[in-house]
Amino acid sequence: MQGHLAIEAHGLVKSFDGKDAVRGIDLAVPEGSIYGILGPNGAGKTTILRMLLGIIEPDSGRRALLGHERPLEAAKIVGYLPEERGLYPAMTTREAIAFMGALRGLPLEVGRKRGEILLRENGLGDYVDKPIKTLSKGMAQTIQLFGTIVHKPKLVVLDEPFSGLDAINQGRLEHLIRDEAAAGTTIIFSTHVIHHAERLCERIAIIAAGQIRFEGLVAEARDRLRPQVRLKTRNSDGPWREALPAAARRDGDFWQFESPRSGIEPLLKALIDGGAGIEELSIERPGLHDAFVAIAGEAAAREMEKPSQTELEVAA
Amino acid sequence: MMSLFEASWVIARRDFVATVYSRTFIIFLLMPVFLFGVAFAAGQAGENADREAQQAQVALVADSQTAAALQQARETLTAHTSELSFPRLRAIAPAERPAIQARALLADEAGGYSAVFTGTLDHPILTGPAKIDDSVGRRMQLILDEARTRSALSNAHVSIAPVGFGRVLTQEAAGNLRSVRHLMARGAQIVIFTVTLLLATMMVTNLIEEKSNKVIEVLAACVPLDSVFIGKLVATLGVSLLGLALWSGILGILYLFTQVLADWVSVPVAPAIGWPIFIVLALLYFAANFMLLGAIFLGVGAQASNVKEIQTISMPITIMQVMVLLLAGTAVSAGGGFLPWAAYLFPLSSPLSMIALAVQSDSLWPHLLALAWQLLWVAIFVRLATILFRQTVMKSGGRTSLLPMLRSRRA
Repeated sequence: MQGHLAIEAHGLVKSFDGKDAVRGIDLAVPEGSIYGILGPNGAGKTTILRMLLGIIEPDSGRRALLGHERPLEAAKIVGYLPEERGLYPAMTTREAIAFMGALRGLPLEVGRKRGEILLRENGLGDYVDKPIKTLSKGMAQTIQLFGTIVHKPKLVVLDEPFSGLDAINQGRLEHLIRDEAAAGTTIIFSTHVIHHAERLCERIAIIAAGQIRFEGLVAEARDRLRPQVRLKTRNSDGPWREALPAAARRDGDFWQFESPRSGIEPLLKALIDGGAGIEELSIERPGLHDAFVAIAGEAAAREMEKPSQTELEVAA
Repeated sequence: MMSLFEASWVIARRDFVATVYSRTFIIFLLMPVFLFGVAFAAGQAGENADREAQQAQVALVADSQTAAALQQARETLTAHTSELSFPRLRAIAPAERPAIQARALLADEAGGYSAVFTGTLDHPILTGPAKIDDSVGRRMQLILDEARTRSALSNAHVSIAPVGFGRVLTQEAAGNLRSVRHLMARGAQIVIFTVTLLLATMMVTNLIEEKSNKVIEVLAACVPLDSVFIGKLVATLGVSLLGLALWSGILGILYLFTQVLADWVSVPVAPAIGWPIFIVLALLYFAANFMLLGAIFLGVGAQASNVKEIQTISMPITIMQVMVLLLAGTAVSAGGGFLPWAAYLFPLSSPLSMIALAVQSDSLWPHLLALAWQLLWVAIFVRLATILFRQTVMKSGGRTSLLPMLRSRRA
């Protein structure tokens, strides 16, 4: 089993100043997958990633990174983009990428060459010899991401990688993540923006208050909810109302309810026979957001909508 | 996984290059010029001003012949010593009652007299407080003796031509050598102490900047924190050695150019252990001293969240280091006993004490033992600094011990 897992964690616990940040986390990230850790700000996502990487030690529990119980032993084949980006302002972009590669054991010369290629391939060829301090925040973040992958790691850990990026750069990053995954790299990233995870991930872990509330395939999370039916009728009342499930609720001109377990056909027949006068009817598979609300709760979902500190800084 | 050496090398190389290509390095290079220039100028100005202010003045309430004889005697004596070696003499016309006049002169603050001479060469009287006897009194006695001798010779129509010494030059003189070596030992200690403090502060400032721009998070994810600290220590040491090499080169060329080198080489003062080994030991002890103090600075200074806080946090370390310098001073001054041994053995004073020993003793083996001892403490201090950094800055508790660095070194 361990041979097929890029990350394996059991019972990770961490508290800061007596306050529990992470409470007994189990994780199993398959090799070659794109794995998302979803949770509102303060849920413990960053602490989990830092423990997995060995930046901080867990109070209890154990973890293995690409089969290594001491994460630094796997440092040469791991890439990490922290939430709070860190680059030397005076370094040029190429040197910054090469230096980050050197920290992972890549010879400087090779790092410089690969760095230049990455910059040119991504339309940043003009910035090869520009110091980091002259770049925009989003561009600096892109440079750091290149530094994260320059040594061609087998596992890339990204902490809130989309924070601080505009829509175009977010799209580029999604593209890059897919490319890396297609090349066989395992990607694990944390995010508080559900649609990124929904578009990219095969598996996710939903974290709230330092605990995993769900771990599995995105489809499994969505399948926890029944398809949602939205119905608009010409007649506001009549015998057809009795055919509606008890949990049906009004949402403007629409009725909204879960698709009955008995199937949609008996419901349709009852509505027609009861004289509802169906104007519109849609059956929608629930999104990850709905699944998240159902799993982590409404409060956690509301927290997810709040911008992170990085995003606030960018907005400022 | 990269070995501790490889990881430290990556960090050291970056820090070294970044520092050498920064404006800070230019300032660092010019620092000796500023330091010595300011110290020399302040020292010269201060010394002259202080000594002039401290030079006593004596009023000569005597007939003109007596006053002139005393003035001339003083000039003869100062010609062979220095102007500041004898009290200034100022002739004052005598009043009817010299005793009362003398007291009035001593009470006059504007006049600033330390004593008053009255009477003649054969019946001299010096009026003034008892405490001047050891200073002004003795010197006035010399002036008086000189004046009376000259007067006696003149009266007898005898003149004595000055006779110069025939010089026999030797390579060394034990007494002279000992005092110069004493000064040399203290000088070496102070130079190492000063440069170490300067560099340690520079290095911690660099770490705080990395903390504030979050680079430390990237480093901690890639390499052991021990290697980050060692890399920084080595880089800063490298920068200082580069600076030292540049200055040595410049001074060496200047010496050759002015042909002073030959004279310097013939100066009969060399450290007891000999110049070549002394220079090597000086570099090694400087490195050890810097690594020891630097590790403490890194561990404690890293708790600061900005550059301003460093000054507050590093103050106790600086005070401690001054105490260490004083302890190391006992290795130069004390003849034996507990304190010099404490200075040799206490890790922080060991490099400073041992460099003094190199000046004063020709034994080599104590240095080999001392360097091994200091290296062990460098490893311990780096490890302790790392643990402190992990627990307080990275907020990582749990499994930390002194052993991982040794393990990773073997790896």
